Amino acid sequence: MNDVATAPAISDQIMIRPPSDNLILEARALDFFYGKSQSLHAVDLPVERKKITALIGPSGCGKSTLLRTLNRIYELYPDQSATGRILFNGDDILHDRKTVARLRARGTTDATAEMQATNMDISLVRARIGMVFQKPTPFPMSIYDNVAFGVRLYHKKSRSEMDGIVEQALRRAALWDEVKNKLHSSGLGLSGGQQQRLCVARGIAVEPEVLLLDEPASALDPISTAKLEETLMELKSDISIVIVTHNLQQAARISDYTGFMFLGKMIEFSPTPDLFSNPRLQQTRDYVTGRFG
Amino acid sequence: MSAFDMGRVARRRGTNFVFVALCGAATVIALGALALILGSLLYQGLGGIDLKIFTMTQPAPGSPGGLANAIVGSIMMCAAAMVFAVIVGVLAGTYLAEYGGRTPYGHAVRFLNDVLLSAPSILIGLFVYQLMVKPFHGFSGLAGAVALALLAAPIVTRTTEDILNLQPAQLREAGMALGATRAFVVRKVIWRAGAAGLVTAGLLGFARISGETAPLLFTALGNQFFSLDLFHPMASLPTTIFQFALSAYDDWRRLAWVGALLIAVAVLSINIVGRMLARPQARP
Repeated sequence: MNDVATAPAISDQIMIRPPSDNLILEARALDFFYGKSQSLHAVDLPVERKKITALIGPSGCGKSTLLRTLNRIYELYPDQSATGRILFNGDDILHDRKTVARLRARGTTDATAEMQATNMDISLVRARIGMVFQKPTPFPMSIYDNVAFGVRLYHKKSRSEMDGIVEQALRRAALWDEVKNKLHSSGLGLSGGQQQRLCVARGIAVEPEVLLLDEPASALDPISTAKLEETLMELKSDISIVIVTHNLQQAARISDYTGFMFLGKMIEFSPTPDLFSNPRLQQTRDYVTGRFG
Repeated sequence: MSAFDMGRVARRRGTNFVFVALCGAATVIALGALALILGSLLYQGLGGIDLKIFTMTQPAPGSPGGLANAIVGSIMMCAAAMVFAVIVGVLAGTYLAEYGGRTPYGHAVRFLNDVLLSAPSILIGLFVYQLMVKPFHGFSGLAGAVALALLAAPIVTRTTEDILNLQPAQLREAGMALGATRAFVVRKVIWRAGAAGLVTAGLLGFARISGETAPLLFTALGNQFFSLDLFHPMASLPTTIFQFALSAYDDWRRLAWVGALLIAVAVLSINIVGRMLARPQARP
C-alpha cells in the first residue's frame, strides 16, 4: 500500500527503466501488425547492456512478437509489419535507408523516419543480434559446421582459428565436454537439450552484442534447463540477453529486469526483484502470484 | 454414466470389421495386379537376357541381336532430359516455396505447372514435333530429350515445392537470424535439409519418363542402328518394345519382353535406391 505514493495513482502502465545511457537496445512506441490485426500497442522495451531482460505474460500477449521485431526476423513474412522505433546502439534498425525508401514509395513514411534513416544492412544487424528459438533448430550438418556457420558468413578464418572459435563457443554453451569427441557427426543426432545448447553456441560464436531467446527451455527437461540457465548467467558478462519465458521462476532466477505484457501492451517493467516481490499493478500481481484469469 | 448400449457396440464392431476387410481386399487387388505384371515380365523376359542384349544392336528378324542401341538411346535421352528437368524443376519449385509462391505470378505458375503435370504425353510429343522436328526437317534424340524433359520438369517442380514447404519455418529463421541472406539459407540449409526429398523429386520425374513411348515416336522416332548422335533419330527401349511387340516375328517379340523387363527393373531399382537415400539418417 505504501507504493501508492511512488507509483502514479491511476495508471495502466509502470516503467521503471534502467539508466538510459546504458541501453544497448530499445523499442519505443512499437506497434505490430499481423496483416490488419494489431498485436503490439505502443510497446516500450529498454534493454540494458550486459543484463538479462525477461519478458513474461500469458500466451498470446505479444512477448514473442516483440522479440521477433528486435532483429526484424518477422520480415520473412510479407504480411507482418512493425511501426515505431527500435534503437540498437542508438541507430533505428526499423528505418534503414532501404526500408525508408520502400515506405516512402508507399507514402507511409514520416519526417522523423526520413531524418533518422540509417545506413545499415539488416543482415549485418542480425549478425550482431543473435537469436535462439523455442524448438532447437540445428542445421542438417555436423556439430562443427553448425557452430562455424555464422562465422563463415562474414569472416575468413584459418582452420586452426576456426577450431578455436568453435571450441570456445561450445565451451561457453556448456556443451564442449559432451561433444568434443564427435564434432564432425551430425548436429541432428544430439538430444533436445544438447541441440538447444548447440543453437546457443552457434548464436554466440559470431560474438553478438545481444542474444534473443524465445522460450529456449520450454522443450527441455529440468537438468538441461538448469545448464542452459547457467550458460546464460555466464554469457551475461559480455552479451546482453532478452529472454521470453513462460516459466516465472526462471525469470525470477536469472533476469535483472522483467517486463510483464498483456494483450499486446507492456504493463509493468521493472527490476526483477521489484516486479516479483512488489508488483505495482493488480494485473501484474495476479499474474506473478498465479491468480491469473 | 448408464450401462453401454450393447447393440451400438456390436454395430460399431461390425462396421469396423467390414471397413478393415474392404481395405484389405483393395490392397490385395492392387498388389495382385502388380505381382501379375512383374511375374509375367519375369516369366517372359528373364529367359531372353544374355550378354547379347547389351552388346548387339537390334537384329533383322531371324538373326541374333540385342537391344544395345535402344538401351544406350534411352539412357542418353533420359539423362539429357533429367539434367534439364532437375535444374528447371528444382529452381522453379524453390521459387514457389521460398519466394514468389503467394504472389499472383506464383499462383499462375503453380496452376500452369499442375496443368502440365497432367497433360497427355502424346500432346507433349506433338508440341515438340511442331517445335523442333518440323522446322529442322528431321527427328532427333535431342527432340526426344526435350519432350521427356517437358514431362519430367513439372513433377520435379511440384515435388520440390512440397518438400521445401515441409522444412520448418524456424530453420529459415534461424539461418537468417545469424545474418545470412535468404538465398544462402535456401542453398546451405533448406536444400540440405530436404536433400533426400529432392533426390526423390528427381527419381519421380525419371520414373515418369523412363517408360514414355508416345512423345518419343514423334520426336526421336527410333533407330535400328547404334547411335550416340543426339542430332539424329535415336532408338529407345519404349519405342523398340512398341515396334517389336506388334511385329509378327517370335524373336522380336521375345526381345520386346526383355526390353520391358529391363525398364521395370531399372525403375524398381532406382526407386529402391531413392528410398534408401531418403531414409532419415544422421550423416557424419
